[in-house]
Amino acid sequence: MPIVLPGRRPAKRFEGSKVVGGKMQQGHKSVNADLNVVPMVDMMTMLVIFLLMQFSATGEILYMQKDIKLPDAQHGQTIEVAPVVAISASQIVVSGQKVAEVAEVERGDDFAIPGLEEKLRDEKKRWDFIHQNDPDREKNWKGDVNIQADQKVPFRILKRVMYTAGQAGYFNVNFATLDQSNVAAVAKAD
Amino acid sequence: MAGGGAPVPESGGRGGKKKRPLDAVINVVPAIDLLACTISFLLFTAVWTQISRLQVQTGGTGGPASADEKRQIQVTVTLGDRGMTLSTSAGVAVEIPALGKSPEGQPVQDLKTLSQKLKQIKNEYPDQSALTVAAEDGILYVDLVRVIDAAVGVGLPAVSVTAAG
Repeated sequence: MPIVLPGRRPAKRFEGSKVVGGKMQQGHKSVNADLNVVPMVDMMTMLVIFLLMQFSATGEILYMQKDIKLPDAQHGQTIEVAPVVAISASQIVVSGQKVAEVAEVERGDDFAIPGLEEKLRDEKKRWDFIHQNDPDREKNWKGDVNIQADQKVPFRILKRVMYTAGQAGYFNVNFATLDQSNVAAVAKAD
Repeated sequence: MAGGGAPVPESGGRGGKKKRPLDAVINVVPAIDLLACTISFLLFTAVWTQISRLQVQTGGTGGPASADEKRQIQVTVTLGDRGMTLSTSAGVAVEIPALGKSPEGQPVQDLKTLSQKLKQIKNEYPDQSALTVAAEDGILYVDLVRVIDAAVGVGLPAVSVTAAG
């Protein structure tokens, strides 16, 4: 369908009419109008630039959960791929699978959390299997684990999780935080 | 380009020849298609929540086991219900009392003073990079993260976390 110039024009049935159609005749101008697409291309280019700046090649490693509110930090590093231990007020979850109840962990006398240790050992076995042909496998093992805990989780739970992670071979603990470095930089500039 | 820019003036000079318009129409439709595809892809793969990490070591001293250790001291921040205690192996021990209690009954730690004291230590020992945070059982994750963040902010990135007492 052609793009027509705005304005009054006769209906199709009056187009041939010498009486009505003639009155509305506006000369022999072309009814096709050029659509100015430059602003649209500009806007799309700006959108692409903005989205490219937001782009993260690693994808989403940690998923925000309703029951876990992360604390803010201004000096955090970029998060890396590693097993994620999510600790909410009620449960401990590893890679989407519940391994322990927080209330049970608090009641328990044992420092280690058996379900968590088993799951983390499985994760390590999987890593070993993937890197079985790597001659520098032992050297490349960093033992990173991401802990995504709610703001109000007490240290008595955290220390048990950290101890258990250490027992399973994960000594480098990364505390997940909301990155506020951009906010801090803007505040500093002001 | 369709509808874009001022028309380029026609070339003159040879009066006899018929003047040809120099306005070239660039077909922007493929460019729009490409941009639309790129935008769709980027929107699908965009990560909106910016999550960072604070790396810590469990137990130990958290310091590098090298010759640098000789020029480093043991710095410990003990986090408790009544505030913080900053102590070093050089004999410094500073009490940083809590500013008060939050509505939930948790201590509000004086992070500003802690940052200042840590900065002083960093200025005194520029090679220092290790710090140990010893937390009591009741300390919340948010307070622990704030103390680690303050330590990393002043240039003490090798943080290790242990239990106090």
